[in-house]
Amino acid sequence: MAGIKIYHLYPDHLNLYGDRGNMIALCRRAEWHNISIEVVPVRPGDKMALSQCDLLFMGGGQDSDQQMVAEDLKKRSSELSSAVEDGMVIFAVCGSYQLLGSHYITGSGEKIGGLELINLYTEAGTKRLIGNAVINCSLWYPTKTLVGFENHAGKTYLGPGLKPLGQVMIGHGNNGTDKTEGAVYKNVIGTYLHGSLLPKNPWLTDFLLEKALAYRGQDFIPANLDDSLEEQAHNAFIKLAGSKKHKRMSTRA
Amino acid sequence: MHKKSMQGHKTGGFLSRLFKIKLLAGLWTGKLLLIITRLSGRGGTTLPGRIAQKIEPKLTSYLASLLPSGTLLITGTNGKTTTSALLSGILKEAGYRCINNQSGSNLSWGIASSLVAETSLSGHLREDMAVMEVDEGALPGVTGSMKPRGITITNIFRDQLDRYGEVDHVLQKIKTGLDLQPQDGFEVINADDPSLTGIQAGQHKKRWLYGLELDLPEDTFENTGRDMKACPHCKEELQYEKLFYAHLGHYGCHSCGYKRPKPDIRLMKASESVNGVTALQIELPGETAEIKFPLPGTYNFYNLLAAVATAKALDIPTTLITSALEKSVPSFGRMEFFEAGGKTIIIALIKNPVGANEVIRTILNQSDKVNLLVAINDKIADGTDVSWLWDVDFEQLGLVKDSFSGLYASGLRAWDMAVRFKYAGFDPGQVSIEENTEKAVRSALEVTPPGSKLFILPSYTAMLEIRRTLNKMGLGKPYWEE
Repeated sequence: MAGIKIYHLYPDHLNLYGDRGNMIALCRRAEWHNISIEVVPVRPGDKMALSQCDLLFMGGGQDSDQQMVAEDLKKRSSELSSAVEDGMVIFAVCGSYQLLGSHYITGSGEKIGGLELINLYTEAGTKRLIGNAVINCSLWYPTKTLVGFENHAGKTYLGPGLKPLGQVMIGHGNNGTDKTEGAVYKNVIGTYLHGSLLPKNPWLTDFLLEKALAYRGQDFIPANLDDSLEEQAHNAFIKLAGSKKHKRMSTRA
Repeated sequence: MHKKSMQGHKTGGFLSRLFKIKLLAGLWTGKLLLIITRLSGRGGTTLPGRIAQKIEPKLTSYLASLLPSGTLLITGTNGKTTTSALLSGILKEAGYRCINNQSGSNLSWGIASSLVAETSLSGHLREDMAVMEVDEGALPGVTGSMKPRGITITNIFRDQLDRYGEVDHVLQKIKTGLDLQPQDGFEVINADDPSLTGIQAGQHKKRWLYGLELDLPEDTFENTGRDMKACPHCKEELQYEKLFYAHLGHYGCHSCGYKRPKPDIRLMKASESVNGVTALQIELPGETAEIKFPLPGTYNFYNLLAAVATAKALDIPTTLITSALEKSVPSFGRMEFFEAGGKTIIIALIKNPVGANEVIRTILNQSDKVNLLVAINDKIADGTDVSWLWDVDFEQLGLVKDSFSGLYASGLRAWDMAVRFKYAGFDPGQVSIEENTEKAVRSALEVTPPGSKLFILPSYTAMLEIRRTLNKMGLGKPYWEE
């Protein structure tokens, strides 16, 4: 049986917006596809044997935790960087996504260094970008939609040549202006979307599993799963997010 | 008892008359709007208070100043409504006349509405005291205007993150609220919650603490938010001698020596419950009390202790506290029971992972098969982000998936809930999906076998809808009478 190892980074600190749901989705679908999966929780200060890791999952954290996480991770940035170049999969949500970039500029203009794994930076915004989001994602051809919920104050800008995860159809995306959402570099995927993201976008879950297997030199042989429930939930969400009536209802105090 | 009224307003002359006119204009408009919103069949509204407050911004603080025995505020993530109800029951027993607000009106406008509703057209209040539950985020504003004598804080868990941001932010709001309280007031906090005991006490304020001294089975639920188990002072991970649920327990920090302070009010013993009634033994300063308490669950023991501690801060005799608490009934949507033709409907509001996990624990304690309906909306009052459903340990129910005679997902986010059930280990074929809550309740009740139970777990606005449905079916009271 094919198998992968998922490193779950700082599960006690990076789990803000239902990130547990992403791990549940990865584990369940791996099980349904007959892929054996081992989840290794990595806690601050733990020795992390990155050579063993196929997929690194980083969730969102509170501001106070974010700094601790950043400092702990920076110690391993060169190791992380070479793993990324080799094709290790990273899936990072919200605060962790920002952390993958070169730097973060705070409200007072202070520049905080990031992990420099991908070419993007984030600056503090004055208004939180909150709400349902739908993006058109070009990881597949033809493209597929991804649906989720975003809630971030930071505005992220992608450097030249870096591809977004998708184009915003509904919502704010990376910065509320350029219609991009998330970023993809090699097998690194960063996004502001939670919701949780993976359960209602099973094709993204399978994409991550497939890439993680490939990194381990194994083929992804998908089982014939009935995803009709997930698909219906996905489509019901798009309808809801696009409905003006629902928008009014969910913004009224 | 001394009563103040509008005639007693200090500033004389033109300004005083202008204030009086604006106040009455605000008051009357508010009262008119209250009548209109009630006639339209929608209780729990914030609009009357909002408009009244717009006409005269000092309305809330003026009306609060008329209360001879002052204001008590109850805040915290979970347990506000039940604690307020228990406390009001005690105060009533002690002869006070209290103004209360509804749980859906716990932001500043809703509180203004509740005050307007009780004020006479001439601007007088008959009540002695206000007991208001306040949303954590609204605490600084409400404290500033009502100048409460007492603030009671139940706990801090992760809640609707899209509205108030993160737990750090909520904690900051609570600190600000406590700082704004008059220094001759008192505060009541949960000694078992390290995030609360870590808040520096006001210099001249009396702080009352309450906590559990029970031996409970270890919490095996997967609770996220373990970050809250960090020492409030040095951020090292706290060590727990006892862990009741989430991050509530007997904690200590190996690194800086911080530890749980000894509570003033302690629950020493809880019997096995018989017909839902638990015999509790409580230690108070200088005495011990026995209470036969009719509300189930550890979380309700905390609510009881919060109410007892607040009542003791007000010097209410223990015998009155005990007799009031023995008459307790569940609050609006908090494990409320309804009988429907030999079937029992139990409504348990769910709004965040810790609270929902406590409800799941109750369902797991059922000996017979039950029917389960989860109804999730995503309006503002529910929280527009439903991510938290993934932090609820529904897997505990999935492990015993054959103990359900039926499974329903309903509400605007019925599909999200259905997916949640699937990933929690249920067979998708077990789950009936019906977005319309009325249809879902009716068909779930129909297939519930006589003699057995239908658990309904709604989010806030889904609960309001379901209450309306039950009213239509001749069960329960219209909710604005609560």
